Amino acid sequence: MANIAIQRIKREFKEVIKSDEAQKCAINVELVGDDYRELRGEIAGPPDTPYEGATFHLEIKVPETYPFNPPKVKFVTKIWHPNISSVTGAICLDILKDQWAAAMTLRTVLLSLQALLAAAEPDDPQDAVVARQFKENHALFLQTAQYWSHVHAGVPKGNSEFSNKVRCLMDMGVGEHQALVALSSCNWDMDRAIEQLFS
Amino acid sequence: MSSEHQNLPVSASLRSPARMATAGPSSTSDSRSESSNNASGGAEGNGEDATDNSNFECNICLDTAKDAVISMCGHLFCWPCLHQWLETRPNNQTCPVCKAAISREKVIPLYGRGSGNQQDPRDKLPPRPPGQRTEPEPHNGFMPGFGFGDGGGFQFHFGIGAFPFGIFTTFNNWGAGAVPPAPGTQQYQEERFLSQVLMAMALLFLLWLILV
Repeated sequence: MANIAIQRIKREFKEVIKSDEAQKCAINVELVGDDYRELRGEIAGPPDTPYEGATFHLEIKVPETYPFNPPKVKFVTKIWHPNISSVTGAICLDILKDQWAAAMTLRTVLLSLQALLAAAEPDDPQDAVVARQFKENHALFLQTAQYWSHVHAGVPKGNSEFSNKVRCLMDMGVGEHQALVALSSCNWDMDRAIEQLFS
Repeated sequence: MSSEHQNLPVSASLRSPARMATAGPSSTSDSRSESSNNASGGAEGNGEDATDNSNFECNICLDTAKDAVISMCGHLFCWPCLHQWLETRPNNQTCPVCKAAISREKVIPLYGRGSGNQQDPRDKLPPRPPGQRTEPEPHNGFMPGFGFGDGGGFQFHFGIGAFPFGIFTTFNNWGAGAVPPAPGTQQYQEERFLSQVLMAMALLFLLWLILV
């Protein structure tokens, strides 16, 4: 890797570790391997959102041409959000694409992602199913996103109605995550979810 | 939108001039030794005294700026770093910090007192590739020499222009060509015949030019 990329990532790594946000456990980074090409990010779900109390893990890949090109970031933790793919974790965020600027750092990227969790852009979606639910049935979107935070991202508070429906599908031999995806994308309508799974 | 961006750098860049102003002109030597300390601290990169040197760090490599330039919006960069950024997005040249429009011509090189080399960093470091420009074909300029300008013969000009060149190229190939065909072969015969025909045509044409 180019020297400038390694030097920068080393500095940024320290910057994140020492930042106020890291002290408050809002963001964090860890090394994966020892060559600074790949890192593991961590962001806390922002307060007053369905992600509150959750911890999301991110995969950060640093390209050779960093910082002239953005790092490649995706969610490892499954999340229900209009701008993040519920399947792959791919993120739709302008600063990770054409709006990247060389003065941005790991810290600003992680903080931007946290801000994205608090302020979704349903008109520029990555996951069309989530975005439609966000616009057409916002209350249900909030419940679903909160339930996903419970199942995947360590939020203690669950939702007994949703877990019963998931368990019901699991009794029919469907995998847990598959059941969750089917129910979430069918607005928790059992019949439609069954139809989608078994057709 | 632009005014919003302009506010940002001003507040950021205020810190360093304010600090220098408090040092005052009487304590120049003190501030100089302080800044050299800062530079060595920055090179170590231990970040202990980062509060002081961060004012003079390049916004791209985050190291103490070398061959420093400053944008009109007040942001400091190493010239090599900024140059590479501008090359990465030639069609969308914006400040990496505040996204104001910037260009090579609109950055100001900074010359510290201690630096021996006062050359403009923009000239020294990655030299811009020269423009790829080729001269146009000279055949149009060749014509007036014949004094052939009676207006009606415009199409003739092209014919005449190309014709002598055709002859020359034939002869050039003959003399300096890498592999002239061996005498006696069919190709030799053909080329010889061709050149004789062309020569005859050229002579006829010149004759016609002189007579008409």
